[in-house]
Amino acid sequence: MALTPHNAFEMAQARFDHVAKLLQLDAATCELLRQPLREYSFAIPVHMDDGHSRVFRGFRVQHNDARGPSKGGIRFHPLETLDTVRALAMWMTWKCAVVDIPLGGAKGGVICDPHQLSLREQEQICRGWVRQVARNVGPTADIPAPDVMTSAQHMLWMLDEFEVIHGSRAPGFITGKPVGMGGSMGRVEATGFGVVFTLREALKERGIRAADTTASVQGFGNVAQHAIRLYHQIGGRTLCVSAWDQTDQTAYAFRKRDGIDLDQLLSITDRFGGIDKGKARDLGYDVLPGDAWIEQDVDILLPAALENQINEETMERIGAGVKLIAEGANGPTTPVADETIARRGIFVIPDFLANAGGVTASYFEQVQSNSNYYWTRDDVLGRLDIKMTAAYVAVSELAQKRKLSMRDAAYVIAVDRVARACKDRGWV
Amino acid sequence: MSVGGFGKQELAAFDRAFFDPRQRFTRIGDGELGGKARGLLFAADLLARESQLLMDPNVVVDVPASTVITTDLFDRFMQANGLYDVALSDSADDRIAHAFQKGDLPVELVGDLRALVEQVTTPLAVRSSSLLEDALFRPFAGVYQTKMIPNNQSDAGDRFTKLVEALKFVYASMFARGAKNYLQASGKTPRDEKMAVVIQEVIGTRHDSRFYPDVSGVAKSFNFYPTGNARPEEGVVHLALGLGKTIVDGGVSWTHSPAHPRAPAPFASVRDMLDHSQLEFWVVHMGKPAAFDPIAETEYLAKHDLGAAEYDGTLRYTCSTYDAAADRIVPGTGTRGARILNFAPMLDLEEIALNPVIRALLDLFARELASPVEIEFAVALGPGPRARLGFLQVRPMVVSEDVVQLDESELQQPGLLLFSDNVMGNGSSDSIQDIVFVKPKTFDKGRTRQIAGEVEQFNRTLLDAGTPYLLLGFGRWGSADPFLGIPVEWGQICGASAIVESTLPEMNVDPSQGSHFFHNMSSFRVSYFAMHHAQRDIDWEWLERQEQVGETEHVRHVRAPKPLRLKVDGRSRRGAIWYAPANS
Repeated sequence: MALTPHNAFEMAQARFDHVAKLLQLDAATCELLRQPLREYSFAIPVHMDDGHSRVFRGFRVQHNDARGPSKGGIRFHPLETLDTVRALAMWMTWKCAVVDIPLGGAKGGVICDPHQLSLREQEQICRGWVRQVARNVGPTADIPAPDVMTSAQHMLWMLDEFEVIHGSRAPGFITGKPVGMGGSMGRVEATGFGVVFTLREALKERGIRAADTTASVQGFGNVAQHAIRLYHQIGGRTLCVSAWDQTDQTAYAFRKRDGIDLDQLLSITDRFGGIDKGKARDLGYDVLPGDAWIEQDVDILLPAALENQINEETMERIGAGVKLIAEGANGPTTPVADETIARRGIFVIPDFLANAGGVTASYFEQVQSNSNYYWTRDDVLGRLDIKMTAAYVAVSELAQKRKLSMRDAAYVIAVDRVARACKDRGWV
Repeated sequence: MSVGGFGKQELAAFDRAFFDPRQRFTRIGDGELGGKARGLLFAADLLARESQLLMDPNVVVDVPASTVITTDLFDRFMQANGLYDVALSDSADDRIAHAFQKGDLPVELVGDLRALVEQVTTPLAVRSSSLLEDALFRPFAGVYQTKMIPNNQSDAGDRFTKLVEALKFVYASMFARGAKNYLQASGKTPRDEKMAVVIQEVIGTRHDSRFYPDVSGVAKSFNFYPTGNARPEEGVVHLALGLGKTIVDGGVSWTHSPAHPRAPAPFASVRDMLDHSQLEFWVVHMGKPAAFDPIAETEYLAKHDLGAAEYDGTLRYTCSTYDAAADRIVPGTGTRGARILNFAPMLDLEEIALNPVIRALLDLFARELASPVEIEFAVALGPGPRARLGFLQVRPMVVSEDVVQLDESELQQPGLLLFSDNVMGNGSSDSIQDIVFVKPKTFDKGRTRQIAGEVEQFNRTLLDAGTPYLLLGFGRWGSADPFLGIPVEWGQICGASAIVESTLPEMNVDPSQGSHFFHNMSSFRVSYFAMHHAQRDIDWEWLERQEQVGETEHVRHVRAPKPLRLKVDGRSRRGAIWYAPANS
């Protein structure tokens, strides 16, 4: 699903309408689920470092909380719009539902550019955001998390403000906290590992041994790195990764025909996920244009960077041997490309199923924070595997039973769960 | 056919269905299975192929549901947590075990473990299956730990935690001091070794807070201690009530010849039999554990007396009753009186045809492996009476066939240090010059644990120096009960080339019986001499005169001026050791 700032919410609604038709939802339920339940739009006045005051615009959209407290990140972005936030809130509702965690969907944001703000100013925005919605969020209502250009530090400022307002400690108010400050073990790895849990199940279902497969990966950030690590541990070989080069402001693909060495590449990678081209060449890697990742002769494509990467322009270049695409990124495949891929018989694990490991681990963090008792990494990742595997199996079984695409099947399950919760509560 | 021919390619991947009747034996990982698992896989395959040989409608034989965590996951666990530094250090065993408990398991394993405990709520045995455990002459019996967990907590998270603790405990046992000594004695280092682990259902039945098999057993197709009319090649069977820990640790069990199951036991009197039959048994404790101790093998085990078994109704097919009025022993529990665990309802009355099945199993495995074998099993009785025999282990036995003559005239030669007509082993040697002995004058059976520690110190020094030695002590070496002998683990004495155990008036017990201990002795080709103080004694005076190398409160290390001469005739089970006389 392509999510662009100007049409994101309409696209999300169109996707919902398609699924609602498959589910034959009644008009009232459709009306309820097409729109957010609540929206907060507010001003955040901040005293800037230079002495003048500036007012920022903040949002919180709670799309649906029939299945439990809402969950969703907070984005700091200069081009943030209420529609983008609405679309992403709805998307969170489906994502939580497809992995069957008892949470609803929400999203928040502030129109600002953190690169142009001092840390103190960012802290003031965080605290101001919480002051505006403190009565409408919380561990039992709506739990924020980091998102675009927000970090664990922002979460701690927000938590602190929330606790000051409420006069008590409430670590379950927010997730994405550092380990030792209410964070969860395994959270960092969760999204990448979750992608591979679903990939493993897909391979198993097709009778393919992971050890007999090769992959090409777009992106070399947190999700990609952990996905590659676990993919290698289960026997697979990655032949190509693409990474963004901060200096050249473009991406390059790094290929080794007998398989990349993850730790070796990490040793020449900067903190933004950029790989040193010269050193990579010295280590025997072919350095190719960034979009070369998609045309490699591999079994698996793992887009784990940006949205809209498999589109009308690039879809014809997908390698001939590709059998499976596991969408680690959000919305990497456009609807048109989706149709072409389906015609070619390539199996797709849709994004909001494949990368749901992150929100699942966030849910685990919230559970731990609420009980103020923290699990071992083994415990977190063991539970994560079970959740992701169960979700995959449910989607796959429905897809086979009703002859749906995996994406449609995942949406059908998610929307159906939320619709039933609304009905059970007597809302519609 | 050999056990070694079986590998991971024969084993299906664990598909998150532990009790799946189509796949009762599976693996997690793509590495090696280790010796125990390979043996079980071999056994499962053989039992499936030869099921008609074991046809008895009332006795089902199978390998309990098992999944093997292969060695590649052990490697990953060790490397990812940087555990080799502490594991190979001289840190105490408990420190190493704690360091392992803090490690994270590989992510590709934890989901499978979680799935396993979500569907299983009965006890599990977490058993070592190392690479070296399958080497014929180095079977590493009992060197690494097994941990049994009740796995009955209502919350799957709790069961998962306990399973993970048990797994890390078994991993850590590879680096315990005793195991390191053992490896050193084998000419190996911990770097040569890798650990796979078998997670296996425990055969048994729950009785309130106790879960245990009605019968556990160890059967050998060669008997080093035949009595009466039994011949060595007819084998021997040890049976016990409850978990097999009783037998493998050398506790009191019931011993019979599978060829003569009804032969009277070699007891002088009923009193003697009552005194020397099993009175306590091990169970998996299903209630609240006594204490949280993830690095203890016995954290979830408990010992009960026969009163508990009587209450549970598990003596019906396992014991006889002493009828004092008639001064006779009656099979079963139909009358009042003292219970004797002699398995007479099965062995004498054949109410359950266990013995024929055991004989068939011994024959089958000995034939397939072309070697005498030792098997371990556990039996759960059901209504009917029906029985399920869970096959737990198979190992080849080492039985030397060299011909050694020990003439009577030789025993008259000067310099005889000791003679025994109850020996194990076969062959001769003249390479031992060092002797470590428990001092008879300061021996105190209440301090055998301390003595074990002192012996270990000397073993360590001699092992490091690569010096073989003769070890002499009182009571059973390796006894689990400190009042029956010196409770050493094999790794604490593994440098000894010859072992002597003697009785004393205050330590007058039968020779060692622990199956793991015996297996190690035979595999390391250690000569073993059992002595009785009332018969021919050891030449203590000569020992006292030898050059002292070291001494502790209870143990002395001396060195003879010239090597000792040792001869063991395995056929006649007689052996002797001579020192070089002063004028030679």
